[in-house]
Amino acid sequence: MDRLMEILEELRPDVDFENETGLIKDGILDSFDIVALVGELNDEFDIEIKPSDLVPDNFNSAKAMYALVEKLMDE
Amino acid sequence: MYISVLDWLDETAKKFPEKPAFFDDKHSVSFSRFQEITKSIGTCLASRIPAGSPVVCMSGRHCDTPAYFLSIVRAGCFYAPIDSTMPDYRLRQMISVVDAKYMLVDRENYEKATQLGFDGEIFIAEDMADTPADEALLSKARENMNEQAPLYVIFTSGSTGVPKGVITSHQSLMCYIDAVSEVLEVDETDVFGGQAPLDYIAAVRDIYLPLYTGASTVIIPKNIFSMPNELFSMLNEYKVTALCWSVAGVSLPAKLNAFSESKPEYLKKVVFSGSVMPGKYLRIWQDALPEVTYINQYGPTEATASCTYHIVDEIADDATVLPIGKPYKHYSVTVITPDGKKADVGETGEICVSGPCLALGYYGNAEKTAQSFVQNPLNSNFRELIYKTGDIGSFDENGVLHFHGRADRQIKHMGHRIELEEIESTAKAIEGVSDCCSLYQKEKELLYLFYTGEADKKAISLYFRANLPAFMSPRKIIPLEELPTLPNGKIDMTTLKSYFK
Repeated sequence: MDRLMEILEELRPDVDFENETGLIKDGILDSFDIVALVGELNDEFDIEIKPSDLVPDNFNSAKAMYALVEKLMDE
Repeated sequence: MYISVLDWLDETAKKFPEKPAFFDDKHSVSFSRFQEITKSIGTCLASRIPAGSPVVCMSGRHCDTPAYFLSIVRAGCFYAPIDSTMPDYRLRQMISVVDAKYMLVDRENYEKATQLGFDGEIFIAEDMADTPADEALLSKARENMNEQAPLYVIFTSGSTGVPKGVITSHQSLMCYIDAVSEVLEVDETDVFGGQAPLDYIAAVRDIYLPLYTGASTVIIPKNIFSMPNELFSMLNEYKVTALCWSVAGVSLPAKLNAFSESKPEYLKKVVFSGSVMPGKYLRIWQDALPEVTYINQYGPTEATASCTYHIVDEIADDATVLPIGKPYKHYSVTVITPDGKKADVGETGEICVSGPCLALGYYGNAEKTAQSFVQNPLNSNFRELIYKTGDIGSFDENGVLHFHGRADRQIKHMGHRIELEEIESTAKAIEGVSDCCSLYQKEKELLYLFYTGEADKKAISLYFRANLPAFMSPRKIIPLEELPTLPNGKIDMTTLKSYFK
């Protein structure tokens, strides 16, 4: 989780990732943020985020992203 | 002969009254309703503001917004669209560039408009949208309008730190739309999938192709571009046949491996512009959708969206650099060498554009206008303006134009045009930044800021986010003890580039 928070913090220092729960729903992260993030998560955690993983529920909060990363690391 | 885009709208509304002109994810608006809205709001505006006024329009990403733009036109005025999600500081700059006295907003943005401290009059579109049309008043508002009357002001990055407002006439816009519609063979059966922000130059295709031809545009919500399955299912639900997207937008599904799980089923044409299309992403589209016609477009806002096009006839690979092609109808393109001569075949020079597609200039900025819109140096016999794009190009033996980069420090990032000097002048306003240099790492699509001074990285980033559009905020902010310099004292950008991670 710490590493994920570092990546998010570096990506968008202006966003409160601890508390935000509508990162996609409220348009806080834009498409270009997501593309950059997906690339970094794939590299950092050696996972492959597929189109079917790219749904708002998986990216609306840091917690949801962490759950997705954990799930994909188990696969 | 058509005088204004209102002639197109009125004709199309007569031909296809019940057909939807625009959709968003919740609603749609038919051509006749679209026409009605423009007449209702136009009537209200025409009774309160003088014809010929700039009217700022701040309205959300939904299907009524294009009708609000045209309502302003109906009142004999021209619109300056702004996007309320931009920082307040930026919005105030844009409003002051056109020295606006009037603003038209949708209800959702009313509070935002008052918060900006706008001291002119604010009109709420929804409150006026059912007013009975006063045809006499509306025709009076158009009485003195000719085809060179301004239609809109669209803002682009300015190197001094203030955005430039490119003001464009009905005629220029109509020439471009006529040309692009011919190349794309657009008719009323087409459905466009709108990606561009509605305040941005690229949106003129999505807005005006329907008004001209009876086609429809689906305004795609911004937050589904990174959710490819949802994006493609929306394209399929509305049976979208054509996309006119930024290169950045077209690249997104390719980067996210989107085609591995689903595909757009009805697409026939994909047009891209805004920056150089990476061959590897185009190839991913070509492999997934081989029947689609791909078209590369090139052109600056000052020459009304795009001035050349190239219909892709090759299978792209990583090394492919597409030509920018041949001039559209209504456009003339010349390459002029630094000593003011016409470039020979293969010789590089500045790409210069002339014809009725040239914008009227930069609003309220005669000096900048005079620098960029000049007498054609090849013509000493009569007045002929050209727009100097600042882009370097060359014609090959087949008369096909090729792009070779910029003469200055302007870059293209995420589909937007950015003057790196504008980022620097913003950074220098931050307390604790003594000197800085902004550079672009093209391969990774990353904006950098190198700086010296006591300021904290995070504080700089927050300042950018609060004062510049998101696409202009550097992602990499690197503090240095000092900036490397060349013997002449200028910043050594080559050395700085070696610091890219």
